[in-house]
Amino acid sequence: MPPRFRKDLVMPAGRVLGVIVIALLVAALFNSEAIVRAGESMERGPTRDIVLSIARPLDDAAGAVGLHLPREGLDLAFGQEDKTGEGTELEEGSTAILRPNRRKPERQSFVQPTSDDPIEVFVTGDSQAEFIGQLLTDALPDDLFDVEIAARNSTGLTNPEFFNWEINAQQEMAARAPDAVVMVIGGNDGFNVLVGDQLYGWGDPEWQTEYARRAAVVMRALGAGERPVYWVPPPTARDDEQNAIYETQNGAVEEAAAAVPGARYVDIFNAINDGEYSDELTIDGDRVLARQPDGIHFTREGAEIPVRLILRAMARDYEALRDAP
Amino acid sequence: MSFPTIEFAAFFVIVFVLSWALMPHPRAWRPFILVASYVFYGWVDWRWVLLLVASSLVNTVAAQVIARTPSQRTRKRALIAAIAFDLGLLCVFKYLGFFVSEMDDALNSIGLGSPLPLVQIVLPIGISFFTFQAISYVVDVYRGETRAASLGDVAILQAFFPHLVAGPIVRANELLPQLRTPRNPREVLAGPGLFLIAGGLIKKTVVADELARNVVDPVFNDPGAHSGLEVMLAIYGFAAQIYCDFSGYTDLAIGLALLLGFVLPQNFNRPYLALSLQDFWRRWHMTLSRWLRDYLYIPLGGNRKGRRNTYRNLMLTMLLGGLWHGAAWTFVIWGGIHGSALSAERWARERWRDFHLPTWAAWLITFHVVCLAWVFFRSPDLSTAFGMLGQVFAGGPSPLVTLPMVFLTVAAIVVQGVPTRVWERAEAWLVTRPVAAQGVALGLIIVAADAAVGQEGVAPFIYFQF
Repeated sequence: MPPRFRKDLVMPAGRVLGVIVIALLVAALFNSEAIVRAGESMERGPTRDIVLSIARPLDDAAGAVGLHLPREGLDLAFGQEDKTGEGTELEEGSTAILRPNRRKPERQSFVQPTSDDPIEVFVTGDSQAEFIGQLLTDALPDDLFDVEIAARNSTGLTNPEFFNWEINAQQEMAARAPDAVVMVIGGNDGFNVLVGDQLYGWGDPEWQTEYARRAAVVMRALGAGERPVYWVPPPTARDDEQNAIYETQNGAVEEAAAAVPGARYVDIFNAINDGEYSDELTIDGDRVLARQPDGIHFTREGAEIPVRLILRAMARDYEALRDAP
Repeated sequence: MSFPTIEFAAFFVIVFVLSWALMPHPRAWRPFILVASYVFYGWVDWRWVLLLVASSLVNTVAAQVIARTPSQRTRKRALIAAIAFDLGLLCVFKYLGFFVSEMDDALNSIGLGSPLPLVQIVLPIGISFFTFQAISYVVDVYRGETRAASLGDVAILQAFFPHLVAGPIVRANELLPQLRTPRNPREVLAGPGLFLIAGGLIKKTVVADELARNVVDPVFNDPGAHSGLEVMLAIYGFAAQIYCDFSGYTDLAIGLALLLGFVLPQNFNRPYLALSLQDFWRRWHMTLSRWLRDYLYIPLGGNRKGRRNTYRNLMLTMLLGGLWHGAAWTFVIWGGIHGSALSAERWARERWRDFHLPTWAAWLITFHVVCLAWVFFRSPDLSTAFGMLGQVFAGGPSPLVTLPMVFLTVAAIVVQGVPTRVWERAEAWLVTRPVAAQGVALGLIIVAADAAVGQEGVAPFIYFQF
């Protein structure tokens, strides 16, 4: 029913303000960890600074008197796992992981699918993984490959305080134990990274090295070696700066994949339209609107192109895909 | 800016305080609420505000011309010009890409290449809503159902932030009189306001997003990999999800407006209790169905020009209603199913006047026709929709059919059967509690809602894309 004016349903505005302020304070105290994470996920700027300058001390105080406990109980009830943590290799570790792996064989062999025992393919990453996962599901033979998709929107490798991909990868591998992983990530990665005490921006060579190190850490967490991990960094972007960030990332991921056994770099940056951004692409002679309005994400129709490149990479490991387009 | 975010919480506290402080001074309040609404709308991209300003400007001028000129011809021209502008905006931003793409396919199929470039156009959030609102305003002025308002009032009518992004679609004579009279700060309808906000948060985060993540999205992404039981749960689950998502948003919008002293029209009235399709459309997205009735179905002739024309008008109205949601064949078929079912229902009523289905059968049929249409609405393309339907009787294991998901789906539908007086009693009880108790209760609901969505945050409301 539409709200009707009734005397027994009204309150003065001052009391309403009291309710709102108390509600937000209660929410802030019990949810302080979530507010810190939300702040850390924001673009760098005044809003983020304000949120974090209030949320961090509040979180310390709330943690000291045990106010995190009810939220932890609710997280448990809703089946939410903590995706952040301190002291992980993703945040701080040695670049030794990037040393060229001389023992990495030219080709590794993995269990081949049969109709009695199909391969479990796990497609994950950021929001770009959604359509790519859907199209990959359509493209892979149903009787040989089962695909599961878990896109973690707004995540990346450069903001582990918000979402730590090393932890998430370990949790997902323990829970799902897939036979192959397709990791589509990088669209949200433009944040500065901290190496030691030094902060580096995406234009610094150290940023690329650190990004490669982080990619290698997550490749290992995804079980590269015991299963193939097809790592798909972002394609070209309409925005020039974004495009340059993605190009740097692609270089970093190529370096990481060369060092980690079982990791495969899938280049959708240079391989599509010769590395030039375009809203439209031609697929089998038909022009399609391939990109969404943000100039980054593929449309469902456009996702066909990166999927074909992924299939090509998978075909090197799985004979059943040798005839893929 | 989306409602369930930290930014919006801070924004709303500031707006709430300043709005009530300035309320006794309309000359200060009006520019304030307009600027606040523009900040809300332009938070992601300020250029969208220019579009909104242009729409308000054009429709104000047209309405003023209609109101002031005695010449019927000029009045009509001004009306047509305003509607052409409004629909033109909608066509460019919403349908041009689809049209060019379909044209390209058609020309290619007969061997003629299309010279038109396929360009991606950013769809401004809420454009379908504020455009329909603008059309209703100028038409109402033309029909003499409302007075022409000043530019400031029209701008607030269109941009008032609680309803701007996804409705309800407000008519001028519902909001303009409220804008002209200062609201009473001693009598804020807080009971329903707070209740709707709490309910909207739970509907969105605990029901809609949980169902989407655990059942609906995985099954619609790959129907062939799921059993019939999972497909059925995904279809019923989507019916529950879209209701909780959209009505949850509307509850938040109406609740926030109430706390600012304004009453927005109701948009949902327990739609899954409907016993016919006609009944369903009186309960679902009520402000859109009212708009389609008043500005499309009745001008087309409604049911006044014979049986055949009535069916044609019903079909046309629902097809266009489908297209309003987006330029895709799935939406056309969704509208077509509703149009056909409404026509069939009307035909059957006239053919067998004395026959009435048992209530349970009427409910069952109505609900399943609505669910069938939702399959097309939710599917990204026709092959997925038919894949879903083809999989309904498939066997196999059903790991996605879990007790919590079945419970959420059933609860979202069954809760609609709770009588209105029960909710009203709860609202009246709520406002008599101490301020601290109300605040703590609302705060705990926010905590639970945030825990339900997890670290990635709230998924965008489904109707933001329309």
